[in-house]
Amino acid sequence: MSEQEQINEVLATDYQAGFVTDIESDTFPPGLSEETVRKISRMKDEPEFLLEWRLKAYHHWLTLETPEWAHVNYPEIDYQAISYYSAPKKKTDGPKSLDEVDPELLRTYEKLGVPLDERARLAGVAVDAVFDSVSVANTFQDKLAEDGIIFMPFSKAVHAHPELIKKYLGSVVSYKDNFYAALNSALFSDGSFVYIPKGTRCPMELSTYFRINAANTGQFERTLIIADDDAYVSYLEGCTAPMRDENQLHAAVVELVAHDRAEIKYSTVQNWYPGDENGVGGIFNFVTKRAACRGVSSKVSWTQVETGSAITWKYPSIILQGDNSTGEFYSVAVTNNMQQADTGTKMIHLGKNTSSTIISKGIAAGRSQNSYRGLVRVGPNAENARNYTECDSLLMGDQCGAHTFPYIEVKNPTAQIEHEASTSKISEDQLFYCKQRGLDADDAVSMIVNGFCKEVMRQLPMEFAVEAQNLLSLSLEGSVG
Amino acid sequence: MKQITELATPFASISSDETFFGDDLPWLKSLRLKARTQFNNAGLPAKKEEDWKYTSLRPFARQQFNHGAKTQPLSVEQCNDYALLDDAYRFVIIDGVFSAELSKIDGLQAGLIIRPLSEAVDLIQPHLGQQVELTKPGFTALNTMMMSEGMAVTVDSNVKIEKTIELLVINSGESANLATHLRHVIVLADNSEATIIEHYLGLNADSSFTNTVTEVILAESAQLKHYKLQQESSKAFHIATLAAKQAAKSQWTTNSISLGAKLARNDVHTQLLGEQSHVVMDGLYLVDNDQHVDFHTRIDHTVANTTSDELYKGILNGNSHGVFNGKVMVHKDAQKTDANQQNHNLLLSRGCEIDTKPEMEIYADDVKCGHGSTVGQINADHLFFLRSRGLDEVSARSLLTYAFTADVLDRIDSELIRTALANVVEQRLPKPSI
Repeated sequence: MSEQEQINEVLATDYQAGFVTDIESDTFPPGLSEETVRKISRMKDEPEFLLEWRLKAYHHWLTLETPEWAHVNYPEIDYQAISYYSAPKKKTDGPKSLDEVDPELLRTYEKLGVPLDERARLAGVAVDAVFDSVSVANTFQDKLAEDGIIFMPFSKAVHAHPELIKKYLGSVVSYKDNFYAALNSALFSDGSFVYIPKGTRCPMELSTYFRINAANTGQFERTLIIADDDAYVSYLEGCTAPMRDENQLHAAVVELVAHDRAEIKYSTVQNWYPGDENGVGGIFNFVTKRAACRGVSSKVSWTQVETGSAITWKYPSIILQGDNSTGEFYSVAVTNNMQQADTGTKMIHLGKNTSSTIISKGIAAGRSQNSYRGLVRVGPNAENARNYTECDSLLMGDQCGAHTFPYIEVKNPTAQIEHEASTSKISEDQLFYCKQRGLDADDAVSMIVNGFCKEVMRQLPMEFAVEAQNLLSLSLEGSVG
Repeated sequence: MKQITELATPFASISSDETFFGDDLPWLKSLRLKARTQFNNAGLPAKKEEDWKYTSLRPFARQQFNHGAKTQPLSVEQCNDYALLDDAYRFVIIDGVFSAELSKIDGLQAGLIIRPLSEAVDLIQPHLGQQVELTKPGFTALNTMMMSEGMAVTVDSNVKIEKTIELLVINSGESANLATHLRHVIVLADNSEATIIEHYLGLNADSSFTNTVTEVILAESAQLKHYKLQQESSKAFHIATLAAKQAAKSQWTTNSISLGAKLARNDVHTQLLGEQSHVVMDGLYLVDNDQHVDFHTRIDHTVANTTSDELYKGILNGNSHGVFNGKVMVHKDAQKTDANQQNHNLLLSRGCEIDTKPEMEIYADDVKCGHGSTVGQINADHLFFLRSRGLDEVSARSLLTYAFTADVLDRIDSELIRTALANVVEQRLPKPSI
């Protein structure tokens, strides 16, 4: 088989999460106005402060222009053609336990391999499942509450813990931050809220699983995680969507706050529908993720495996405010067919003795464009800041592109910054060596790619690592570069 | 657009009936006219433009510049002192005006022509303005519209020029706030070789503005070694564009050393248009006090089998600000490209700032591309080693700072030029103050 044929075979690989769940839902008609914002807030019976905040965000958004600096191309989005809320019809006031959850929904998550039932206990993962605009199931709340851990849908947390929401919402990503963050602040419908109290180590992995099901909707969720002094939490996030011919918008905001000596580990496997081989359909994934290492010796680590979305525009960032705080960013971004990814991170060093590590692996195949865009900034008072950045790209096929746009801004002479980047393809020699040892081309490529990504993959929690590796070999099967 | 108009004020006084050389030639007149329209439309670049993100032209925009110069003639002896090399062809421009008396361009080797631009229009017509993009806002358009002098060099096929050509541009400071717009055109025919040094010098601490554009055209298998030494006064504004086009098997080595000026901005660009063309693009910047230096480099690999090797190093002291933006562009089908880019910076004092952005855009798969960038300070172990050998702290730091520059200087293969440039760099080394 020629290289091109083999690549074509990859292009034909199915998106396995592309089914549609047939379920009755309440969906807003398309359109965006102040009334849409009020309506969402009313639906959720939100307190006044949150509505005011949403409206401020909405009015600010109206003054903004779509950012165009990213290395991506897409048709202009008609914000009036999108529906901003869709939720499965509720039979009661929402499920109290899994028994009350619509079996169709349970089957959906079953198909996606997300354990919502007792198998979850075995897996040791507490799940918040968000279906379109609302959270449909949330497991292990009670068990976690014994330790004082709060893990619940955002819309519930607003009522149960308004003081925490008031204190932390928008404190890391202000509604003024950027175009999509403003849009999200005005329209977010649900998401997860996590609070880990002082000195607590969260006994299980917390996980949110996002699913877009309804057509023509935008999903705007908001995740807020707070780790108080000496707390630890590992949080996983996964996402999928059905295959549809039109593009759907996903604009999420994630805010993390780590206090003194706290640690947050945030892992994402992003597998939104990437569109077909001609670039028809797929999710526009415009996400703002940011963490604040507020306390001394706090630590935040972002790990992401990005295989989906027609367009990815995402820069999980860390503001290293506390002295001795640490930030880490591990990323694998795979683009195939007509996908475009512009992703990377920002490390803002403000405190003393802060350090950050960036490992980014980009793999481009088909006719895709894969960009790393990162910023390392060292403020004038950030003594002894340390950064190490490595971003490598692997190209498969001569139709794709891999780009690197690292920004390094240093205002303190004690900083030590290292950045290196390389671009290459899988060499004939490597392939020959593997084949000569009896591996077929697919296994050889898979092995080489896995080796290429190993540094990132081993940062993932075990359950996720398996899923991520499968995704990786699935999306690149047969693509001998 | 208000901001742009404001920024254009230093040139608000340029009237449209000002005359320039070549106004009797329709093609040149229309080229200038086109540039004028471009410049008037776009004005000077504003900070919101990505290429000018870290370099503000506000201090520049506050200046008023004059274009009429009173020149102070220098004696031959003075000129000899200022020149970098003794045994070289010398082309001298003082305050924007070519000086035939001080230049040494008689008895040129056969196959070599060196002429003032204003007298070489016929010679460079096919090349003038071909290497620079007028559509980019700013200084190249201003230069095209206003260019008043420069050096035109052509080398015939199969000729190897033995002597180095030194272009000495002196700003005497005799007329305050003088603006000069120089255009140099260097054309090397097939299989020819030459070595050229561009040397900019400011004699006193007055404000001035040098806007220079150098266009380099290398035909097949041509080899040009090009060095640039910029030692303008501490209040000078130095804006330079250096742009080349390289045919197959051509080799261009360029090395820019930026020491002077309050604000120095250098755009260095080459297009590798023929297979097996190769570029070595080096640079060194040493700044102190409130100096601002900005290097924007770009290498376009447009065809298969081309190579590039780039090394820039910077030393920042005082409250200086350094900017490096290196872009390597591998176009579609430019397979077997081998590109390497390095930028390393040494920060010596509190208050200085470096913004570096090594970029790669790659549209071909069978390539080997890499870049590295570091920001750091003098290594404590190295310092300890020297101290333990009896060197005092200041000498040890000086030595290590010099060592940091050495690998850029070592890549200059002519010993004569290397020694001359190394001497200048050594004198200019900042005294570390941490």
